[in-house]
Amino acid sequence: MNPSSLHSQPKAFSHLYIERKVLDHPKTHAIREKFSASHVIIIDHYKEVFNRPNQNFAAQSQSKNLILAHKEGKFLHIGSQYSDGFDHKQFFYASSVMGCLYDCDYCYLQGLYPSANTVLFVNLEDAFQELTPYLDHDTLVATSYDTDTMAIESLTHQTAQWLKFAEEHTNLHLEIRTKSANIKALKKIAPNERVTLAWTLSPQHIIDKYEHATPTLQQRLKAIQEAIAFGWKVRICIDPVIYTEDFDVLYPPLIESLFSIITPESIEQLTLGSFRLSQSHLRSLKKLRRSDIAFYPYTVRDEMATYPEPIESYILKSLLPKALQYLPRERIRTWQRQS
Amino acid sequence: MIYLITALDAEARTLVEHYRLKRDTSLPYTLYRGDNIILLVCGMGKMQAAMSVSALLGWKIPNNDDILINIGICGAPPSYSIGEVLLVHKIIDGNKHYYPDILYTHSLRETSLLCVDSPQESILNYPVDMESGGIFLAASKFFKLHQMAFIKIVSDHCEPNNVTKEGVINLIHTHLPILAQLFTTIQTIQCSNTLFSTEERMQIEVFKTHFTKSQGDALEDALSYFRLKNPTTSLRLTTTPIPDSKRERSELLESFIITLTA
Ligand code: SF4
Repeated sequence: MNPSSLHSQPKAFSHLYIERKVLDHPKTHAIREKFSASHVIIIDHYKEVFNRPNQNFAAQSQSKNLILAHKEGKFLHIGSQYSDGFDHKQFFYASSVMGCLYDCDYCYLQGLYPSANTVLFVNLEDAFQELTPYLDHDTLVATSYDTDTMAIESLTHQTAQWLKFAEEHTNLHLEIRTKSANIKALKKIAPNERVTLAWTLSPQHIIDKYEHATPTLQQRLKAIQEAIAFGWKVRICIDPVIYTEDFDVLYPPLIESLFSIITPESIEQLTLGSFRLSQSHLRSLKKLRRSDIAFYPYTVRDEMATYPEPIESYILKSLLPKALQYLPRERIRTWQRQS
Repeated sequence: MIYLITALDAEARTLVEHYRLKRDTSLPYTLYRGDNIILLVCGMGKMQAAMSVSALLGWKIPNNDDILINIGICGAPPSYSIGEVLLVHKIIDGNKHYYPDILYTHSLRETSLLCVDSPQESILNYPVDMESGGIFLAASKFFKLHQMAFIKIVSDHCEPNNVTKEGVINLIHTHLPILAQLFTTIQTIQCSNTLFSTEERMQIEVFKTHFTKSQGDALEDALSYFRLKNPTTSLRLTTTPIPDSKRERSELLESFIITLTA
């Protein structure tokens, strides 16, 4: 349950934990300057703080702190079976940030990480070095996979760095998935047709209930409009769809209002997918006891929890025809459990 | 419940008087209790501290919304003023580092704290005490990191021989309002994590006895779903008599779960 009173919560990042070895990194300096009122705590290794036993994810979510660190291992990881590699020869996701500034009740990070704090690996230049040998071939990198990098762009400028790197490497495709409404980074660089910005949309009622600290639907739609106007490729993800008793009055109208503002031709694709989560992550969500999403009576098969088949089919049967009113089938991607 | 831990009787004195705590002889340590406060005088040194705090918390196991606060004096380098109240964000105990979570606003100076083995006469980089490492080690088995706070009041610039009992009592007395305010602040950010009242919990446990373990787990999930979705709606377990037949019981449970998660 949420804390009984929020009046004594500090601003986000009231504490900066900084690894000794990145104290002199230019990004560290810039962040310290931006958060000059925050308490600075020098640490030897980010795991000392991020992996502490006995942290309370829910309490930390109300007051997230930032850990600045040096990534020692790999930045790039091969894309998982639950994600969509879009038929590129190579698909990686880049892990330059751990944790997310946003706080979605359905987020698997809550089960993945022991902490709600954010770790920012400041040495992104090493990720580019790691990626370079692969760039003889068509390669997709999802830069926002275990986080929403755009959410903290004003702090990290990592999206801007990725966009610049992609500009210089013609086999590199980027997918930047976000709920953010801050698109400053996109305005500073020429649009690149190998970059797809994938915006996740939800009805405002679902945002209010389950996507804490995220921009409103209107703010996201405005950001999408602007990004399109600047010439960026945009994919819309109505994924995950959270099924509630109000589904019929929330989701089909979302598609209608989306296309009342944005012309269907101006988006690359629409992805529709109902909520799904690995069984082990779901178990961790349950332990947190934060949201009804964790306790829905899902069907679990092959270690994956999904809505029961009739509901999953209903979601798709309701949304697909609605989407087809605006887009041809080949521009709509759907996720449904393979039976 | 607030668990207050001090190392010395002199550090406890003002708190005992202010909160009208009564001596409790349940443990072989100096202990005081009030309605909502337990105060332990843990003794000097980290070993003593770890042992007595473990004994206290093993005896009175804390809840999710309880807090533990270590209050004491400390020696500090001259960059800290005598009488300054410090809130500790890092305890350095040899090569072990502990980080209590400070998830609330406050106006105190934050600091790292060195936990040492004996009174320090030479000036070190940070304020020093002799118990925080032991207290943290023991308490973190029972409390989450945001439920604990370590508050130190600077008593000297590493001249422990100049510290008197009256001086310690005075220091705590002077800062009592700040301490009391901090207790309240820390309490407000605690999450109870308990979805059901004691009465509801008892009813649930009785109801669960009619079902298998896995049915009970499914019921718990459905009840949690219901409560999180409808936080203000009271919970009504089914009033239908529990049937004798296993099949009918399963059907009853199934329909109840459907109602809860509809
Ligand atoms: S925006 Fe994405 S990564 Fe961030 S909390 Fe929400 S689901 Fe998780």
